[in-house]
Amino acid sequence: MLLNTSNERVFTVSSITRHIQTVFKEDPLLSDITIIGEISNYKPHSSGHMYFILKDEQSQIKCVMFRGNNYGLDFKPMDGLSVRAKGEIRVYEKRGEYQLYVSQMSEAGRGALFAAFEALKEKLKAEGLFSPETKKPLPRIPHKIAVITSPTGAAIRDIISITLRRFPNMHIVVMPAQVQGDVAAEQIAENITFLNQVMPELDFIIIGRGGGSIEELWAFNEEKLARAIYASEIPIISAVGHETDFTISDFVADLRAPTPSGAAEMAIPEKESLMKHLSLIKNKVNRIFVHILELKNQRCLNLIENIKYQSPKNMILQHLQTVDDLYNRLKLNMKYILDMNENNLIKYREKIISLSPKSILKRGYSICLKIPERIVVKKIKQVEKDHKIEIIVQDGNISANVSGKEEIKNDR
Amino acid sequence: MTDKKKKDEDISFEESLKKLEEIAEELEKGELNLDEALKLYEEGMHFSDKCLEKLNETKKKVEKLTREGDGKYRTEPFSITEDEEASNE
Repeated sequence: MLLNTSNERVFTVSSITRHIQTVFKEDPLLSDITIIGEISNYKPHSSGHMYFILKDEQSQIKCVMFRGNNYGLDFKPMDGLSVRAKGEIRVYEKRGEYQLYVSQMSEAGRGALFAAFEALKEKLKAEGLFSPETKKPLPRIPHKIAVITSPTGAAIRDIISITLRRFPNMHIVVMPAQVQGDVAAEQIAENITFLNQVMPELDFIIIGRGGGSIEELWAFNEEKLARAIYASEIPIISAVGHETDFTISDFVADLRAPTPSGAAEMAIPEKESLMKHLSLIKNKVNRIFVHILELKNQRCLNLIENIKYQSPKNMILQHLQTVDDLYNRLKLNMKYILDMNENNLIKYREKIISLSPKSILKRGYSICLKIPERIVVKKIKQVEKDHKIEIIVQDGNISANVSGKEEIKNDR
Repeated sequence: MTDKKKKDEDISFEESLKKLEEIAEELEKGELNLDEALKLYEEGMHFSDKCLEKLNETKKKVEKLTREGDGKYRTEPFSITEDEEASNE
C-alpha cells in the first residue's frame, strides 16, 4: 500500500473530535432519542449533576443529566433501576467520549438484577435467615478476628489500620478471596466454612469489599454465600460497599456495617477508652474503700474518747473533788457551831457571874449565918438573944452575938 | 476450689467489668461493716485485674492465611504496604 503524503489529510485531535461531533449533530436520530436501559454506577455529584451508565446485557452507554434537567425527577435514580432516558447523544470532546445528555427520564420498572435481588431476599426472609433471634452477639473484647476480602483493596487496609488504631494488640487473620466475579461468592462462602472448621476460636469474621457498581457487589447477593453466613458458628459482619448499598449478606449477617472501615469502628472497642473507664471505676472503689476505713477509724477514735471519759480514774477524780467539797463544808459548819457555842458560853458565864452572891455583897448587902450550923438566916425566928452569928460582907466575916431582935409585922 | 478457679478464668471482660461496677455501687451505699467492705474491696481489685488481663492478653499479630487443601493452611505475616506493591504487578 502506497502512501501519498501530499494527498493525506492530517488532523489534530481536537479538529477530528470536532468533526465527529458535527457528524453526531447532523444525525437526526442521535439528536432526539429515547433509550431504555438499566442504571448502573450511578453517581450524583455535589454540583447537582447526575452521572451514570445505562446498560443492558451486551452494551452500555455513558449518561449525564444536568441539574437543570434532573430537578423535577419524580423518582430517585439508583443502580439496577430500569429507565427511559430521552435526550441527545453528543461527544464530550475533552475525553473523546460519546454520551447521552439526558433531558427527561422516567422509570421503566425495576431492572432484572434488582428483581433477582428482591426475589432472593423474600425467599430467605421467609426461611428465617434474617430473623433477629438467630443473630449472634459480638464479644465486647475480641481477641482474634478474621477478614475475608481482597488482600490488595482499600477495604483490608482500612480494616487493619482502624482495628489496630482502636485496639493495638489484636490478632487479625486475613483470608484472601476474590470479591467480584463469578467465583467470588463461592470463594467467600468456602472460606467462611473453612474458618469455622480450623479456627473456631475466632471472635468474628468480617466479609466485605469497597464500593462498586451493583454488578461488582453482586457476589454478596448470592444465595450460596447467604447460606454459608447463616450456617457459620462464628459471628459474621457484612461490610459491603458504601452506606447506601444493601446486599443479601447484610441481611443474613449477625451485624451489618455500612462500610469496611465502619465494620472496624463498630466491632472493635477503643482500648484506650476501656482502660480509662476501668481505671475510673478502680479509683472509685479505692476512694470509697479508703473513705470507709476513715469513717470506721474515726468512729473507733470517738469510742475511745468516750471510754476514756467513762473510766474509773475519772470517776475517782470526780469523787475526790466531791469529798474535798464536803470536807470544806463540814469544816465551815463545824467552826460555825463552835463559834456559836463559845458565844453562848460567854453570855451565860456573865449571866452566872452577875447572879453570884458575891456580886450582891459588893452592892452593900450582907449574908447572916447562924453558928455553928452555918445556915443562912432568912427569918427573925431563926435566932434568939445571945446566939452566935457570922455576917459575911464583901471583904470578910464579922463574928457577932445577937443582942436583941425585933420582928417587923408585915401588915401592909 | 478448683471449680471456683475454673469459673474465674472463664469470666468475660463484660462480666468482670459489671462485677467491678456493682462492687463500686455496693461500697458507695456505705452500709457495710469493715469485714464486708474489705472483702468487697479485695474482690474489686481482683476483677479490675481480670479486666486488665483481658485487655492485654492478646499479642498484636496480622497474618495472611493460605489454604493448602485437606483442611490444612499456612500463615505468614501480612503487611499492607508490601501487598500494595505486589498488586502493582
